[in-house]
Amino acid sequence: MDRAGFLERYEALPLPSTSDEHWRFTDLRGFDPDAFSVNGDRARQAGESMLEIDAAGVAEATEGAVEIVQAPEGVTFAPLDDHELLGTLVGAEDKLTAHNAALWKHGLLVQVPAGVELAKPLYVRVGNSTPGGTLFWRLLVVAGEGSRFTLIEESASAEPELESYSNAVAEVFLERGSKLEYVSIQNLSRGTWHFATHRARVDRDAELDWVAGGFGSRKGKVTIENRLAGQGATSRVTGAYFADGDQHLDYDTLQEHEAPHTTSDFAFKGVLRDRATSVWRGMIKVERDAQRTNAYQENRNLLLSPKAHADSIPGLEILANDVRCTHGATVSQVNRDELFYCMARGLSREEAQLLIVRGFYQEVFDRIELEPVRDALQSVLEARLLAA
Amino acid sequence: MALLEIKNLHVSTEDGTEIVRGVDLSVNTNEVHAIMGPNGSGKSTLAYALMGHPAYEITEGDILVDGESILELEADERAQRGLFLAFQYPHAVPGVTVASFLRSAINAVRKAKAGGEDDPIKIPEFRKRLDAAMKQLKVPKEMAGRYLNDGFSGGEKKRVEILQMALLQPRLAVLDETDSGLDIDALRIVAGGVRELVGPEMGALVITHYQRILNYIKPDFVHVFVDGRIVREGGPELAEQLEAEGYETFTPEPVGGEA
Ligand SMILES: Nc1ncnc2c1ncn2[C@@H]1O[C@H](COP(=O)(O)OP(=O)(O)OP(=O)(O)O)[C@@H](O)[C@H]1O
Ligand SMILES: [Mg+2]
Repeated sequence: MDRAGFLERYEALPLPSTSDEHWRFTDLRGFDPDAFSVNGDRARQAGESMLEIDAAGVAEATEGAVEIVQAPEGVTFAPLDDHELLGTLVGAEDKLTAHNAALWKHGLLVQVPAGVELAKPLYVRVGNSTPGGTLFWRLLVVAGEGSRFTLIEESASAEPELESYSNAVAEVFLERGSKLEYVSIQNLSRGTWHFATHRARVDRDAELDWVAGGFGSRKGKVTIENRLAGQGATSRVTGAYFADGDQHLDYDTLQEHEAPHTTSDFAFKGVLRDRATSVWRGMIKVERDAQRTNAYQENRNLLLSPKAHADSIPGLEILANDVRCTHGATVSQVNRDELFYCMARGLSREEAQLLIVRGFYQEVFDRIELEPVRDALQSVLEARLLAA
Repeated sequence: MALLEIKNLHVSTEDGTEIVRGVDLSVNTNEVHAIMGPNGSGKSTLAYALMGHPAYEITEGDILVDGESILELEADERAQRGLFLAFQYPHAVPGVTVASFLRSAINAVRKAKAGGEDDPIKIPEFRKRLDAAMKQLKVPKEMAGRYLNDGFSGGEKKRVEILQMALLQPRLAVLDETDSGLDIDALRIVAGGVRELVGPEMGALVITHYQRILNYIKPDFVHVFVDGRIVREGGPELAEQLEAEGYETFTPEPVGGEA
């Protein structure tokens, strides 16, 4: 399908509504994608960087441009144009992905040739700054056979109250025996409707280690799907999210085991304050041939105020018979006895709560291998937690 | 003026059941008081009420520290006044290491002492004090980096309660069955640690079922606690009598006509 075809499809499809199972808890009333201007000419970089990182390559993307600030050696790290793999993982299956397919202009291609190992990470900052604008973002990552590298993607807004619409698609390919650490941190403004579809295909003996942090945006949905396509493939996704005020976060995850001896391990933890709400949906699918599969799925939510609300919906669809799966989903308030225990040592209610929240996240932070990423996530969180 | 003075204290649970039914007790620095009583008699409830647990309501009476009522104070303010409770069942705080928890607690108390201004302890000084206390209480070094009470054995939890006491330096320590779950060596070490701290700066209230810890701690007073009340008071010899005879002889006559 060409661009015109995608646009037609976009126009023909309705916006998802709460009668669609996957959108049951994410009501898009009040959102009109056509009310936002498209591909504005602004090329101003959004805000300060969250990470202090010594990167091999740096790119910056806005509504109006993508710029390679620092090119790494020996790998393709360039504005995305046409590519044989483009659109093969994420098509135009619904109105939002069709919108991206039809209108994205500025994207990034990261292609690391077979056998190449990068000591330093690649880093792309994506930012919106146009009031009433749309940020279409498209990322294509190809990790060649046996390659190893880290890619950090950070999305942020120039202004904390910016009204905007963000629509991102990432297609990630891990070829045989490669290892990718992929970090995506989203800290968009509270006025940004944010939709993202990330899909990864992990081939034989390849390993994907993915960290997803979600702190910003107004409402939307982030889809994270991993296809374990080759024997011995592994994917680990570690998520941390925090929302307050009227924010609504939605994570929709899929662990799809197509090949035998594959492992997936998803763990998400979220904390909600004020009237914030979240949805987490997990699905483990194990195909008939995917014997000897290990699949783990966990989502834990901590509510800091009586009006905060979290929905957590785990799911399993298992067609193979020799598999190990565990899943767990919880939504809880700060335990009164734990709070009392901390206060009995002299910590004020607020300090005790902060300590408990930090501890709550620690388990997911412990899964993050890169120290600067861990530090960055921790400091974004700290800033949010302290801004009562 | 007593350090701690409990006056005609009545404590009820949230559903209105009265558990502590009129307790009078004074504890001073330099003193060790032991409370002994059967299961379910209300000892932990008394301890929780002293510390200000929100699940318990004081329906009558008062608790004074240095002559001032603390009933309106929350647990943190009570701790800042020098009250410490070693919990019978210490709660886990997952994701927070023993060391970072202790540092936060020390800093909270220091902040209160400095009139609300942050006055954090310097990290090398904290490390030094922590190492020394751990060594003295024979708590293995790696415990400092473990998440507080998360997966600790019963005895480890109790030792770490006493470690917290040693570092927080309270003025009045309430130990709720700290001895149960401790092996003999640990019991000796923990009791020694408590005894060492009792002096002009600290008094202690030790809740226990067993004579053994009292052999080491050597209480000045023993209170027999039955059915929400202190039914007998005496010196250390009372503990021996209890060990020999059980609580039978101390059980009060039923009050009123109900059988
Ligand atoms: N929060 C509560 N809600 C309801 N009942 C309670 C509550 N706390 C305590 N109780 C009841 O009050 C009574 C006294 O309990 P408490 O824990 O104070 O006893 P104890 O003397 O410490 O016993 P033990 O020696 O077994 O530790 C028990 O019957 C207990 O079930
Ligand atoms: Mg008890």
